[in-house]
Amino acid sequence: MKPYDLLAEGLIVLLVVAVVVVVLAAVFSSPDYPTVRGEDVANRQPVAFVQTSANILAGNSSIQDYGPPYTPDTDNAQSLFGIAPAKWFGVRDRIDPVQDFVLKPLARAAVLNDDVATALDTYEAASPDQQQTWVTAYLSALDEATVVNGEVRVTAGDYGPVPTLMSGMLDLGRSGLLEGALESNAKLPFTLDFTRSQLFFQDDVYAGVAEKLNLLGDQWGISNETGRYPGAWWLWPYAFFYQIEPMSSSDNADLEVGVIMIGVFLIMLLIPFIPIISRLPRWLGVHRVIWRGWYARGNGG
Amino acid sequence: MNVTRQAQRLLIDNLSLEDALPTQMPIYVTSVVYLFGVTTLSALSALVLTGVIMSLFGAAWYHGSNVGHFVNSLHFWSVQVFFGALVLHMVSKYLMAAWRDGRWKTWMVGALAFGAAVITGFTGFLSQTNWDSQWIAVQAKDAMNALGVGAFLNTMDTGQVLTLHIVVMPLLLVLLVGGHLFFVRREGPVKPFQTGGRDD
Repeated sequence: MKPYDLLAEGLIVLLVVAVVVVVLAAVFSSPDYPTVRGEDVANRQPVAFVQTSANILAGNSSIQDYGPPYTPDTDNAQSLFGIAPAKWFGVRDRIDPVQDFVLKPLARAAVLNDDVATALDTYEAASPDQQQTWVTAYLSALDEATVVNGEVRVTAGDYGPVPTLMSGMLDLGRSGLLEGALESNAKLPFTLDFTRSQLFFQDDVYAGVAEKLNLLGDQWGISNETGRYPGAWWLWPYAFFYQIEPMSSSDNADLEVGVIMIGVFLIMLLIPFIPIISRLPRWLGVHRVIWRGWYARGNGG
Repeated sequence: MNVTRQAQRLLIDNLSLEDALPTQMPIYVTSVVYLFGVTTLSALSALVLTGVIMSLFGAAWYHGSNVGHFVNSLHFWSVQVFFGALVLHMVSKYLMAAWRDGRWKTWMVGALAFGAAVITGFTGFLSQTNWDSQWIAVQAKDAMNALGVGAFLNTMDTGQVLTLHIVVMPLLLVLLVGGHLFFVRREGPVKPFQTGGRDD
């Protein structure tokens, strides 16, 4: 045995860590990329905003047939060997994208805008086929849309009340009221749940921003950070499994990678009892470097 | 049955004062790798301190305050130092096969603490109330939902992830780290490998 001072050692290391952290914070600061808000998208990319809204109205939202916990259909629930944990607890937060993301917010805008109110009445009175015809035609026309004096203009066509509805959505976005309209529920003004306002933009708008910031899944995004900052690099193994087959092209990648990572964690947890892995350190011989002083004194190794 | 006496007996049987606050250490404890654990612990202390300061001023404080942003930077870099030291600690303890001679509980509780730390970090990213939080929330929800966890953990529910990050997960992490330290001090440092010994 040799003399040792646990508390002195701990305090010195704590001091060193504190100095290192303060210097790193002072020199490099930290990332804080601003939120992407409906207001920003509506003002800077009005066509993208309207395309997002129209796609949702057309039933093209990825949440439309997502499955649990948002919708009752389970065709898209990820499964592995026939097991789909997503189904186990059913629909916990029912979301109807057409209603919750577009028509209900428009109903709030209609209180302030008679044109939107009339257009909404016309749209809701039409048959589903007619609604779909209008929206589909408008979506096609949006491919050639232009922005004139802040308004999204498309070539003339039979779009029914859809252009007015989309103009109402754009106004809602520009006013900064979109998120509030999307999250409106009985818990207001104390709601802290921003599920709907984040799902609204996730498909194209968020993905477009993420791609520019190198944050997409196939860019190892989960372990990256905005700017030139280190991210959650300890998630590299998790991100890695998304990059290789069969996960990289699988519809069930999230479940497959999740199960793999649970397995990896269990292996790590149970290393002391796993024959080859627990004996590997002795064979590798790195311990001879770590305890080189001990072995240099003639102790066995 | 006297519960207090039982608790006394548990402590006396498992942890002497010299175990808890040692003034001597085996001669083979000389490598720098023995500092990775205490470095991790120090970074955790910095995380708790800076986290408490940010909690006092609110989740969105750091967006509009220079002081707040600096405290956030301290928190951010403490996370990096924490995981850096933690990974080095775990790798070095693996290479030393530090679970030998009955120390498997030390290893397993430490591994659980690592898992808790990853989840704590994850909820931290979700609580930043900036673009990172938005993007990670919509991406991670698919992983949570695929595993069935999404029925109970909604990554887009800022209220839920924030309370998880500042109360539930730190409490769990500190308890696990406390348990890990209890076993570390009770068992003492693992001995070096002996040639031909039955130590592996």
